[in-house]
Amino acid sequence: MEHNEYIPKPAKLISIKEEVGGARAIKTFRTQFIDEHSFSHQCGQCAMLSVFGKGEAMISISSSPLQKDYHQFSILKTGRVTSALHEMVEGDTIGIRGPYGNHFPIDEWKGKNLVFIGGGIGLAPIWSVLQTALGKKEDYGELTLFYGSRTSKDQVFREELKELKKKMTVHLSVDVEEPGWQEFVGFVPANIKDKAPNPENTITVTCGPPIMIKFAILALQEFGFKDEQLYTTVENKMKCGIGKCGRCNIGPHYVCKDGPVYSWAELKNLPQEY
Amino acid sequence: MEKILTKQTFPQWIEKLKSYTIYAPVKDEGHWSYEILEDAASISPEYPNAVESPKKIIFPQREILFDFGSQENTGVAVNENLPAEQPTVIFGVRPCDAKALTLTDKVFSGDFEDPYYWKRRNAAVLVGLACNTPPSPNCFCLSVNGSPFSKEGLDVLLTDLGDAYFVEVLTEKGEQLVGAAGNLFSDTPDKTKSEVKKLRTEAEKKITRQVKDADRIPAKLKEIFDEPFWEDEALGCIRCGICTYLCPTCHCFDINDEVASNSPLKGKRVRTWDNCQFPDFTMHSSGHNPRPDKASRLRQRISHKYNYFVELYNEYQCTGCGRCIDKCPVGIDIIEVLNKVNEYGA
Repeated sequence: MEHNEYIPKPAKLISIKEEVGGARAIKTFRTQFIDEHSFSHQCGQCAMLSVFGKGEAMISISSSPLQKDYHQFSILKTGRVTSALHEMVEGDTIGIRGPYGNHFPIDEWKGKNLVFIGGGIGLAPIWSVLQTALGKKEDYGELTLFYGSRTSKDQVFREELKELKKKMTVHLSVDVEEPGWQEFVGFVPANIKDKAPNPENTITVTCGPPIMIKFAILALQEFGFKDEQLYTTVENKMKCGIGKCGRCNIGPHYVCKDGPVYSWAELKNLPQEY
Repeated sequence: MEKILTKQTFPQWIEKLKSYTIYAPVKDEGHWSYEILEDAASISPEYPNAVESPKKIIFPQREILFDFGSQENTGVAVNENLPAEQPTVIFGVRPCDAKALTLTDKVFSGDFEDPYYWKRRNAAVLVGLACNTPPSPNCFCLSVNGSPFSKEGLDVLLTDLGDAYFVEVLTEKGEQLVGAAGNLFSDTPDKTKSEVKKLRTEAEKKITRQVKDADRIPAKLKEIFDEPFWEDEALGCIRCGICTYLCPTCHCFDINDEVASNSPLKGKRVRTWDNCQFPDFTMHSSGHNPRPDKASRLRQRISHKYNYFVELYNEYQCTGCGRCIDKCPVGIDIIEVLNKVNEYGA
């Protein structure tokens, strides 16, 4: 039988963790394929998740490729499919196809310092590359994370972030002042300016809302970071995931297949249709 | 291989093709449409071009990708629904529409071959009909490397000589089709070739509409991406989408689930044509829309055809059939737009 990329492979939700409650709820789902199935991803790649009867949504894989026991997806409840996912319980079946897209060129980054900059749910795509770098810490220089959320209650991976502080530099921020908050108050780009990262031998990875990405990159440029040192991820609405359905394009690039990872050197030359 | 087939014997050829599903342009309530041919005698070369191109036969407007339903062990069972490989002949394909399929082929190939598309495409034999008279006053195939007598993408090309067809057999598939009734075809008299050449020259003269300097357009489109030009051009657009719906090269699609029962779960995943002129085509679930207005969507339609596709495949994704001009209810005319693009700022 010939290969049919549109057919999702059934997978079980083996654990569901509520990260953030309320109107902008985020849950982290871990999945295992029901049948033997080769699905090996690289940092930054995405997968098309199916809730049968509701449809599909392209979601960034937040687990590291080093993690072989499960795949992890941290998902903001926002549309039809993600809302349906949030209603599901452990043991339920979803469909997965992929992995899709390009990936962070982490092998080229060996020996360099890595600065990760995340906003809100944007920590999910970073998480995969961050965990991989931590897992091979000897290959990289200094590791730093900037992470901002609207409030402390909107943080994803809250427990993991506490653990992370023991292993690397972590600069947290919340958008507005709140009782008991000891760290930076303000938007992520302001936190970057406050901590003044050094561009020497350093790569940055920025994921978050488009407006945050824009100003974070401007802030980094002020410190002398060059376009080739600035990496980010782009998202657009997707249906096929394989460069055919025609809606996720930025100029001649299909984000599903040619993205989601771009260096600023590439992205700055593309139309701003994302 | 070149042959002659008289119009009188043409229906006998069709009769010999019983193992094929045959599509041909049929006139229904004043509109020409590719339909499954019931009666060989009803086939007619007198049509201009069908309202919808034969794209709809290879890439139907709606198709089921798979069925799904509850299953005890795995939770959900998925059953692939690939089309059958039914040999199909499409008669009367205009050269612009045949060329269009060669462009769509590129999209459905690559890293991920699309099995639904290729099952139908590989089983289809395209019998073209050269345009002695351009079917539309808005034909402009000559501007985009096409011709009313182009053979590109066809298996057989017929030229109407009045009482007979000049039959050019172009591929192995075409040979099989003609071979099914070899005795009906006769050898070509010497004078036929010059007759066909004359018809071609005359047909090309009748094509009056033209995109000037089309090869300059890709670079120019990049240059004027951010100009207010697009707002002016898109002002009249009513977002009906007819331009892309009728376009023989437009391939964008949507995928959705249709549910027959929730408990036990039973449904289908369905692919349908979609349209870059619709606001929700690119709208994120957050409400953010990278192409939020008519101007950016018209710019996308034109840029995809005359810039992005050229960058990806070194061809225009437009074959000059003129349908989008013929049917636009507000008179947006791609030839005018392209000529203005070229002149912009000059």
